Amino acid sequence: MILLQELIHQTYFVLAGLIAVLLVTRLFRRKSRPGLAYDIVYAYAIIPFVLRALHIK
Amino acid sequence: MSTYAATSWTLAAMVAAFVLSSWRFKSPELSMVVTALVGALVAGLGFPAHLFVEGTFTFLDLAFIFITACIFMNAYSEVGAMNALVRALVVRLHRRKWLLLMVLALLMLIPGALTGAGVVSVLVVGGLVAAVLRLMGLAEDRVAAFVFMLGILSAVAPPINVWAMLMAAGANMPYVGFDLVLLVPVLIIAAFTVLYLGWGAVPQSKEAILAGLPPLSPKMTWWRAAVPLAVLLALALGAKYAAFTLPTIGFPLMFLICAATTVAIDPVRRPVKRWLEVVNQTVEQVFPLVATMVSVGVLVNILAATGVRGLIAISFVALPIIGIYATSLFVCPLAQGSLGFGSAVILGTPLIFVFNAVGANVTVVAAAFSMLFALGDCLPPSRIVGRTAIETVGYKGSYGSFLKATAVPWLVMGIVALAMLIVPGRAAFLVRY
Repeated sequence: MILLQELIHQTYFVLAGLIAVLLVTRLFRRKSRPGLAYDIVYAYAIIPFVLRALHIK
Repeated sequence: MSTYAATSWTLAAMVAAFVLSSWRFKSPELSMVVTALVGALVAGLGFPAHLFVEGTFTFLDLAFIFITACIFMNAYSEVGAMNALVRALVVRLHRRKWLLLMVLALLMLIPGALTGAGVVSVLVVGGLVAAVLRLMGLAEDRVAAFVFMLGILSAVAPPINVWAMLMAAGANMPYVGFDLVLLVPVLIIAAFTVLYLGWGAVPQSKEAILAGLPPLSPKMTWWRAAVPLAVLLALALGAKYAAFTLPTIGFPLMFLICAATTVAIDPVRRPVKRWLEVVNQTVEQVFPLVATMVSVGVLVNILAATGVRGLIAISFVALPIIGIYATSLFVCPLAQGSLGFGSAVILGTPLIFVFNAVGANVTVVAAAFSMLFALGDCLPPSRIVGRTAIETVGYKGSYGSFLKATAVPWLVMGIVALAMLIVPGRAAFLVRY
């Protein structure tokens, strides 16, 4: 059970990394919401996912 | 300058910044962060980068849920399972309009009741329900209002009511005895919502409805379509009732497991490239919600750091009881709109102590406040369930017209909650331990 729980815990870090990659891709290749305002929004929305994936926070 | 005056000045500057940046940037998400920045500067905090970064994590769990739930639902639609379910519902219940609408309302209550998040109900079954409602003759604004109202009611419904849980935890009272006192008002309001929004709707003929739906995938049967939903229900019930024997998976992983199940039941066996496209489209579609969660977290953190959050809470809680009755219907929803579940901690918990001091049944009071907070899920700046509802059903009208369609059931829910708040003793018989 402990091993399984640890596996699930690590899966969430991997998931955060995958979402960060997807968001970075959309920052440069998005089809909706163009413009500088959403460039900025994408840029800071990625921060928590990157920090979580890197185990920083 | 006194602390009160300085904090009031910060609040005024933040309100002005929010109005101006909303007008200039046309992005509510960016406006919230600009507002937080202005608040920090006016309060003399400079640029507290650590508070901004910490704030982005406040609602990260909800962001995970939004993304994974949407991946699951888009995968589910992609394989044609949604279409198969809609067709099965239409074929079986077409002649019984009110029964069909009630079944749809109950269907919408389940995911939110199990997760505590109304937005999950909207994301998981909102699209399916909206498709059937349209074919049953409801106008577009009423479809969005239906999905929104049932979404917020699902968050209030037991067994998981996050607002009541937070208030109970803050006030050192056990989260027990809430089941009936939450369920009965929720069912009454849900029935009223169905009757009000469904009144006058004329369903199309069964043949016309079925002809208007996309063709059924040859191998997509109703039982195949039911498998991913059954897996979701089993995982959610397992997490609730077998919490000590099963590992804690969490809702994001549950939705990913269901998405994988959906890929497994795909009769056409789409290539991996197509699934990657679905995931990319989903991330772009759900991004405004994710950005809202991140931005609201930043704003809430700065509200706390500048003392504005405390100013708002103290000003409300210090009112006499009659003043709380008179203003709850406006203050609680507005607090929810800006603070999310934090409203239950900041306003709810002190209010429980206030009502306990006058001898009211605090279980009924907590249930009533949870309903009042839920009403704020369509209000700015977050508008989280409201925005999700209109995006899920594809409503093209203005946000104001959506609010107008929601107004009557919204007010009825508020009146029921206020009645429970004013005479909690009358609803005390519903508190069963």
